[in-house]
Amino acid sequence: MAKTQFIGKPATRVDALEKVMGTAKFVADYSVPNMLVSRCLRSTLPHARILSIDITGAQNIPGVRAVITSEDFVNHSRFGFPIEDMYMLAYQRVRFVGDPIVAIAADNEDILLAALAAVKVDLEPLPGVFDPRLALQPDAPLVGENPREAEGHPRGNLVIDYIVRQGDPDAVLRDCDITVEAEYTTMHQEHAYIETEGALAIPWPGSSGVTIYAPCQSPFIAKNNVIKTIGLEQEDVRVIQPYVGGAFGGKDDTMYQTATQVAKLALVSGQPVQMLFSREESMIASYKRDAMVMQLKVGAKKDGTLQACKFHGIVDSGAYSAITPFTAWRSSIHAMGPYRYQACAVDTDVVYTNNGYAGAFRGFGNTEVCYAIELAVDEIASRLKMDPIDLRLKNCLRPFDTTSHGQRLGEDVAIVECLEQVRKISDWDRRRKEIPQGDPKQIRPGEFRRGIGVAAVFHGISLGAEGKDFAAGTLRINDDNTLTLTSGLTDYGAGSRTVYTLIAAETLGIDPNRIHMLRPDTDTALDSGPTVASRATIMGGNATQEAAMRLDTILLTAAAGLFHCQMVEVLREGENYIGPNEEPATFDQVVDQARQMGLVLSTQGRWNAPENHWSFESGSGKPYFAYHYGAQVAEVLVDTGTGKVEVTGYWAAHNTGTVIFPQGVLGQVFGGITQGLGYALMERVDYDQGYIQTTNFDEYLIPTAMDVPDIVGTFVEKPFADGPYGAKNIAEPGLVPAAPAIINAIYHATGRRIQNLPANLERVLIGKDLRKEGSNTACKLGLHQE
Amino acid sequence: MKFTLLVNGIKMNTEAPADTSLLYLLRDYLHLTGTKEGCNIGECGACSVLLDGKLVNSCLILAAQANGREVKTIEGVHALENDGPNDLQQAFIDYGAVQCGFCIPGMVLAGESLLNSNPNPNRTEIRAAIAGNLCRCTGYQQIVDAIQATAVKRQEKNSRG
Repeated sequence: MAKTQFIGKPATRVDALEKVMGTAKFVADYSVPNMLVSRCLRSTLPHARILSIDITGAQNIPGVRAVITSEDFVNHSRFGFPIEDMYMLAYQRVRFVGDPIVAIAADNEDILLAALAAVKVDLEPLPGVFDPRLALQPDAPLVGENPREAEGHPRGNLVIDYIVRQGDPDAVLRDCDITVEAEYTTMHQEHAYIETEGALAIPWPGSSGVTIYAPCQSPFIAKNNVIKTIGLEQEDVRVIQPYVGGAFGGKDDTMYQTATQVAKLALVSGQPVQMLFSREESMIASYKRDAMVMQLKVGAKKDGTLQACKFHGIVDSGAYSAITPFTAWRSSIHAMGPYRYQACAVDTDVVYTNNGYAGAFRGFGNTEVCYAIELAVDEIASRLKMDPIDLRLKNCLRPFDTTSHGQRLGEDVAIVECLEQVRKISDWDRRRKEIPQGDPKQIRPGEFRRGIGVAAVFHGISLGAEGKDFAAGTLRINDDNTLTLTSGLTDYGAGSRTVYTLIAAETLGIDPNRIHMLRPDTDTALDSGPTVASRATIMGGNATQEAAMRLDTILLTAAAGLFHCQMVEVLREGENYIGPNEEPATFDQVVDQARQMGLVLSTQGRWNAPENHWSFESGSGKPYFAYHYGAQVAEVLVDTGTGKVEVTGYWAAHNTGTVIFPQGVLGQVFGGITQGLGYALMERVDYDQGYIQTTNFDEYLIPTAMDVPDIVGTFVEKPFADGPYGAKNIAEPGLVPAAPAIINAIYHATGRRIQNLPANLERVLIGKDLRKEGSNTACKLGLHQE
Repeated sequence: MKFTLLVNGIKMNTEAPADTSLLYLLRDYLHLTGTKEGCNIGECGACSVLLDGKLVNSCLILAAQANGREVKTIEGVHALENDGPNDLQQAFIDYGAVQCGFCIPGMVLAGESLLNSNPNPNRTEIRAAIAGNLCRCTGYQQIVDAIQATAVKRQEKNSRG
């Protein structure tokens, strides 16, 4: 790659200063005159028919300014994408514990609590579905708003199903020397962003308009939901992203509900309305990473060549489909892992239950299936007494291979490099030789056992065949010759504002400090789709580069005018422009010249992702335009007396393409692995008969600084032709292989392969769960309304 | 109830209900919003402040308990000579210790508290000192780097006298 000034060089985050000083404002930090507080009355039953809602008692309390139900919205406040099956406030039925029914705005907390208590909701309990395996039984109670067929249809709780097909796996499996067949299960995972949900809506004086501050995955989706369900016009709604205190995929549907509720409350009351979730409300009301039940059968030849893979997955979407149809599609595409097969068949069923609801979470369906396939592949290596990395190297996808989906890959495939790199940096060969394979029969109780395990990952870039995939940005030079850059994509903390600033500075050859990168605002930024799917760097980065190249052309035109030469004759040195007579002009002089020439110093850039296609009928196609590749190695120390697992070493190699913002990329890897470590060992949202059992950080444990070892992160910087300056993505793939790497390390230590996440004490120690005594409704709902 | 606290070196008077927590007193009555609420049960550390120099979860302290005492919040942490970042805050910036930033005020105070009591901590001690502060973004490593680098620099400065 050509020499760069800023790309890949040490840089600091554009918003770090505000954040370390404590001046960065999150939505809870906003306070405006006459601001009301608000909250939702939420269902305390997992499934019930709403017989009546009487809000008069609440309305009559002095200081209560607005009380709203689904009746106050267009089409009963129905929304949802890709399947419209959800409401801003429940209509006719509640489907999970936490479903919002009524929203109230009041002068202060005391009045608000009295008003919530004064609402009379008559609920008729309905039987629920709590085991996703039973959701498709003919006698299962129907959960969804619009089951695909009438009552009694044998698959009435089916949200959607997907297939992937290549050849005849049953025939190939019959001829395999070795097959591994197992069931793997994963639990719901809570995003646990430290900032809970919240929003602030400010009505415009004398009009029907409203401005909403909402930390969400896309201000444009929030805006469109507000317009549609409240019945407003495009020009009536402005959504501004304040700083977002972490999202990880979690600030989608729940936040769109919240944003719409506060908007309506503000419009009804005529006053600004803020809604802030307690941690309990956040954990109860927000969606989770879906839980999955996976049946996997993988066959191989004696020499370790993988031959066929059969996968059946049941995805627990919970009460609503939310974005789960897309996560489950991603699961289907990634279910066989980054390997070559003769034949494969993937079947994924997404089902409704009354267990909260599921949606996007970093990894987006790949996290679950990567765990299953990486355990199965490891098991084959173990039975064949092959080194787990050797087996993966023997079978992994290589440049220009054709995948099981029928997609011919490009030259960017880098899994071999990732595996070899992680093998080297983790000193894998020495450690594997020194640490004997654990055998449950040989282990003395109380013995500490060490183990080391590996997992590989591929992860489709951006949205894939989910839908149209583009991003847009704007760039302008202000009167003081600073630059303002926008993107429709949000920086939750992952660093995209810094990445875009560096790309624009590099492209224009100017000091990054000249550039101010705005946060998204529907009035100033261009819609770029949601900030999901690790798409910010490639999609938004390309759009930024495009906008910057257009501005660069304008400035070169001005410089050529200044020097009376051709554009191609203009050279750059730092910020200066050099003419043919070696006369330099500063950036400021060139900008002034451009203004004198009447050139408009404002550009837009848009980047459309390369085309994808997928046939849902044949289960083949080109699901993503390219993939990220990676491999991780974990070392664990298992206390066989208590089942406690300590992760003592961690190494990662990821195919990031060109690294644009080094400390940011490392942060993504460290943070992703830490979330994956939590997923592997401790994180567990337990729904008991639909009642969530973990509602705050005393019960829902996430890794602390003591639970994580120092991690070694390295990158395979093979430039990616479709990425800005050759960059690929990183946000999700850092998390995805962490759980299987750790579980495979536990297997190496103990000889016990834990097929149900998380690998908590009892599962590691005795291989099964111990049940909590007591009532399932004893959980602390903390909804402040009883 | 009337409260008088020395907050970041400034005597502050305010009136609030007697059951107000120190966290809400700071945020809602004194408008010092750098201190964050993450869980309100003392598990996440986003509300960390120094009370008479000691690191506490302000959500677990009644404002009445803090009455007449000295509180240091993130707004009171900055360079000696100006309102810019101090050495620890600058290290957080330099080492990439910040992502979403929501836990960072608490992390900075936890770091300050550690360095006040142990000027030469090893990485395990640093990890233990911030174990009461949850961060969901960073995986902690760059935060540990920043605190460690600051410790080293402060020691060098002190040894030079």
